[in-house]
Amino acid sequence: MTFRKLLLGGAAITGLTAAAFAHSGATGVVKQRMEAMKSMGEAVKRIRPMMAGEAAPDAAAIRRAARTIAAESGNAMLEKFPQGSMDDPTEALPRIWEEWGRFVAIADQLELAAKGLERAAGNGLTVDGHMMDSQSGMMGGQSGMMGGGMIMGGDGFPDGMTPERIGRMPVDRAFMMVTQTCSACHDRYRQEDD
Amino acid sequence: MRRSLSILSGLVALAALGGASLAVWPIGAPPKPAERDGDAQRGAYLARAGGCIACHSDPGSGHPALTGGAPIKTAFGTFIPPNLTAHETAGIGAWSIGDFARAVRQGVAPDGSPYYPAFPYAFYGHLSDQDIADLWAAFQGVPAQELIVGTNDLGFPFNMRAGLKLWRAAFAEGPPTEPVADRSEVWNRGRWLVNGLAHCGACHTDRNLVGGRRPGRYLAGSDDLPDGDNAPPIRPDDLAEAGWTVSGLAYALKSGIMPDGDTFGSGMGEVVRHGTQWLTDADRTAMAVFLLDNTTPAKGD
Repeated sequence: MTFRKLLLGGAAITGLTAAAFAHSGATGVVKQRMEAMKSMGEAVKRIRPMMAGEAAPDAAAIRRAARTIAAESGNAMLEKFPQGSMDDPTEALPRIWEEWGRFVAIADQLELAAKGLERAAGNGLTVDGHMMDSQSGMMGGQSGMMGGGMIMGGDGFPDGMTPERIGRMPVDRAFMMVTQTCSACHDRYRQEDD
Repeated sequence: MRRSLSILSGLVALAALGGASLAVWPIGAPPKPAERDGDAQRGAYLARAGGCIACHSDPGSGHPALTGGAPIKTAFGTFIPPNLTAHETAGIGAWSIGDFARAVRQGVAPDGSPYYPAFPYAFYGHLSDQDIADLWAAFQGVPAQELIVGTNDLGFPFNMRAGLKLWRAAFAEGPPTEPVADRSEVWNRGRWLVNGLAHCGACHTDRNLVGGRRPGRYLAGSDDLPDGDNAPPIRPDDLAEAGWTVSGLAYALKSGIMPDGDTFGSGMGEVVRHGTQWLTDADRTAMAVFLLDNTTPAKGD
């Protein structure tokens, strides 16, 4: 009952808990990708407090976590999603294969962001943490600021992002490039219901 | 002199005829209040916090920002968030700031018809004239785009807009946002955002058969969101039980990452990407402080 309540409680309604629950029955490639997601989730969990300002950043730990994520993204991830691999229990949505090109792009983007995070590991945190300030050069003072990629639009992964560019960001910004990629994919391609 | 006097008396007569008062009769060219005192930068910030951009844009479609949102499928039919760019016909380019204020704060279209509550105007009623002027300034800076992505598709009887007048009478009041005297500035700021502009209750408060928020279910979660999504309960006890802290929650609103290392789902990721990640750390912290210490009574409990 407590477990169910926790599940309904929402903080845990997604991913890790559900995946842990589901692991018992999963086999083959579905199980492999659940394990991969779990290891990435654990990597994120370990360094999250450093990014949130709850713990001092540990560059070595951040590098390790970034490598774990990079190793499970890109082709390594795509291989674990063969066409129609929907055997129960899975949280994958069929939309993945209907929009395969888009799914591939996100998997590749994750690899790029994770490699950038590895490079950024020693950079320290954003001073204020507020995007509008940290990117004021890019977003401020434009007459068209409500559209076309300015402050009222353009939420996607910026074009032309490379591990090198991400590697020059404050480490928490680089981490956000990773987490927003996770989130974008989960929002669109993961079943969230119990 | 004589001539100007006669003009003046003529004008007085005209004003009296129209039932208008000289006091409110504009002199000179009608001012554009948004250009006069609206701060577009602040308005864009409010538009982020309020979800305007999230809901009225559909990045997946390849269309420019604010040219119309992805369809919202509900039990009543499908809603299409309209184009809010400055285009004269496809968008809101022909509106006045008065039209805009009435639409946002009261949920009434320029032609006088009521909006469907899929547009969460009930949560925007508290916005000040300055907030409206700032928002208006920001929206006027959106390049006009002649694009209409679709129209609402609602079944009977929900396609009868007049019925919405009854709905308004029953449900159009949002949760309270006015400052509480003995609470901190941070808590009050959080309350203004959570209960108002950020409209958390639009999803996290369950709705009844006609789409009204159920008074006793304030922020108690909903399993019945569009597209089969659900929203967890976010009352203080629920959040505490699930292990949330102010810092963890504020960071989740920034990054989409929960303390267990997983990401938000069910559309909350979008709320973060298009909305709360753009806010200041101070505003995210205020929302977390308020949510974990929220004393808003759930009516009917």
